[in-house]
Amino acid sequence: MITSPAPSPTAAARQWFLARGDLGALVEAIRGTGRRVIGPTIRDGAIVYDEIQAAADLPAGWRDQQSAGQYRLERSTDERTFGYSVGPTPWKRFTFPPNLPIATAHRTNTVAFDQPVPDVPSLAFLGVRACEIAALGIQDRVFLGGQFTDEDFRARRSAAFIVAVQCSTSSSTCFCTSMGTGPEVRGGYDILLTELDEGFVIQTGSPGGAAIVAELPTRQPSHAEVGAAVDSVEAVRTQMGEPLPMAGIDERLKLQLDHPRWAQVAERCVECGNCTMSCPTCFCTSVIEESDMDGKSSRTERQWDSCFDVAFAKVAGGDFRARPRDRYRQWLTHKFSTWFDQFGSSGCVGCGRCITWCPVRIDVREELAAIAPPIAPVVQPVAVEPVAASPGTFSIARLASIKAETEDTTTLSLTDVDPAFLGGRPGQFVMIALPAFPAVPISISRFRSNGIDLTIRAVGATSTALVNLHPGARVGLRGPLGTFWPIQEAYGRHAVVVAGGVGLSPLHGLVDALVANHDRFESISLFYGSRTPEERLFRDDLAAWSASKEIDVAVTVDRAGPEWKGRVGVVTTLFDMISWDCTKVTAFVVGPERMMQASVQGLISKGVPADRICVSMERHMECGIGLCGHCQMAGRFVCKDGPVFRLNDLGDMFNREGI
Amino acid sequence: MDDYTSVIAMLNHTWFGAELSPETQERLAKLGEIQDFEADEVILHEGDDAREMGILICGRLALRTFVPERGAVTILSVEPGDIFGWSAVLADTQAQSTVVATESSQALVIEGTRLRAALKEDHALAASLYPRVLKAVARRLRATRLQLLDLFAR
Repeated sequence: MITSPAPSPTAAARQWFLARGDLGALVEAIRGTGRRVIGPTIRDGAIVYDEIQAAADLPAGWRDQQSAGQYRLERSTDERTFGYSVGPTPWKRFTFPPNLPIATAHRTNTVAFDQPVPDVPSLAFLGVRACEIAALGIQDRVFLGGQFTDEDFRARRSAAFIVAVQCSTSSSTCFCTSMGTGPEVRGGYDILLTELDEGFVIQTGSPGGAAIVAELPTRQPSHAEVGAAVDSVEAVRTQMGEPLPMAGIDERLKLQLDHPRWAQVAERCVECGNCTMSCPTCFCTSVIEESDMDGKSSRTERQWDSCFDVAFAKVAGGDFRARPRDRYRQWLTHKFSTWFDQFGSSGCVGCGRCITWCPVRIDVREELAAIAPPIAPVVQPVAVEPVAASPGTFSIARLASIKAETEDTTTLSLTDVDPAFLGGRPGQFVMIALPAFPAVPISISRFRSNGIDLTIRAVGATSTALVNLHPGARVGLRGPLGTFWPIQEAYGRHAVVVAGGVGLSPLHGLVDALVANHDRFESISLFYGSRTPEERLFRDDLAAWSASKEIDVAVTVDRAGPEWKGRVGVVTTLFDMISWDCTKVTAFVVGPERMMQASVQGLISKGVPADRICVSMERHMECGIGLCGHCQMAGRFVCKDGPVFRLNDLGDMFNREGI
Repeated sequence: MDDYTSVIAMLNHTWFGAELSPETQERLAKLGEIQDFEADEVILHEGDDAREMGILICGRLALRTFVPERGAVTILSVEPGDIFGWSAVLADTQAQSTVVATESSQALVIEGTRLRAALKEDHALAASLYPRVLKAVARRLRATRLQLLDLFAR
């Protein structure tokens, strides 16, 4: 990989000042080394990069106005030479020529193929901006960073002398701050200019740059001039406003391959390929053959190509990207997503050329925002400190209401609870007790603004006593205890909740949280199986969830009478409804252990990664804090290390007999 | 010549028919006929001769069996894409359950005698169809085993 040597601290600190009238001396000094100078000049109403003979060829006193699909040059109110932002020409034109002879072939008695001797000019690039230096670095990785390299590119890059310029203005199409490539030039140059009204503050980045500067009629810059140079770059950053939210754009795009916007933008796109031709990093090419009329010799030339070309992905049997939407998606996802996989960075530097030079004003920033909007920052939840953690101590709560869910299962709504319980997380549990009855662990089935719900199946002395309480009764609570559902791990994915029987109770709060944050998930589904229709929990909530657009609900029962019109069959039969990419599923499963095992097997066979399946385990608990030993499961205490576990964390302990 | 395109399109939306070859799909379409069932309509009676097999296109069917003193118990629902009356692929068998439409439903129904004759003479059809019927039966067997465990009981 080629990079200009980084300036030493001493050299970096050293600065010079070159008067505006002496800029020609810089051009002359570079030309004096035998290099041709390529720099900005006006042609056909635009500032393009072409050969510069003298400073007079530079666009002093001109500035540009750019927006989506528009580019205009106008006279500036000052005489600055670099008072514009980037024009249509990418520097790759000189390191990666649009047309490059790569071979000749001859047919005599045999056939022969010859490679031309590289004819690499010695060039100096004058006026290279921060985003453009980043683009050269990206092409370095593309052409020189892998197993196979482009030696023509290597020769041209090695021969190039870089005179960078700090931007003193930006266009509405610029977004280098969003891509982390600018506006300030941080390296990769031989000489760096910062333009002020009276001249240029100069830094050097290589011995070659220092040698050139040594020939110039410079002086030491004043303190004010050095400060103005720094302020100039910062002013550009301010001018560009808040950076776009690009964090995670690669993964965000990968989740949106079926977004309807691809078809919508393709209806506007005319597939002219301007975006790829003006892009400083696009590197796709095709090879053409030119043959003499007698067929005895031919010339092979590599030409820039574009993934927007209708034949770009064509093979004998057809076209892999036959539709315009396919081609647009290919370009955008390569630039902002799959480029990371191949080359370790984005393929975009935020120069904005693809926006300015798009004849139908497609703005890549708008498309990214529409197709892969940012996901709000993830705040990793932490468990609140439980109250009355020690066995025997309890926080008193009042029973506000009672609701029978099924013949043997009842929901108690508790109020006047310690605030710690309101800060609990779905999946956690409490220890609840009455005088003369031992405490029992009960999952929190719902968090309300002024209390919590506990859904209890009357199976023992304490639970039977609890479901027979009346509103106003007081109970003792400890908690919230245990681990909780890692909801944030399902952000951007398909959240699948699988519940069996009373297993819906510890999942109710999870479903509430998923629905409340539905924008964060690709989809939300609840698969619920119960023994009979009458044994379904939370029937009102199931009906409300079914009616909402935020969650898909499928319910099945193991057996039913003729009055039941819904599904009959075990819960795993509902997995037939899954039509999405299961590698993008995060699943939350609760039910009897044998049912969880069947569900986990079903999910894994569908392609759900094991480390994306969470289960809630049930064990005998007495203390709830890992001290009594009852709930030990191999190396874990279910009360303290669980009850929510990732399947991977359980390993072969999951569903093992006798554990 | 009849146009079976719409029937084949329907088959393509079922797991049972989606991956069959176009020739087999057309053969099935020709063998059967699309039938509509109203809610609560009884399609097959438990114990009757298994006279037809169906591929459910849309709607929902209940497979019910009679239990003395409990009456009809639904043991399984058939969802779109699945089959019912699979016993019809075997000669001289009886329907294992009563098949009732629990809502308006539509199915490709193939008369058992025609189906068995076609399977006997057309080996390609048999090679395609038997594994799918077996898969359907195996799925039911697996589900039934889990049901037998009565997982949600106390």
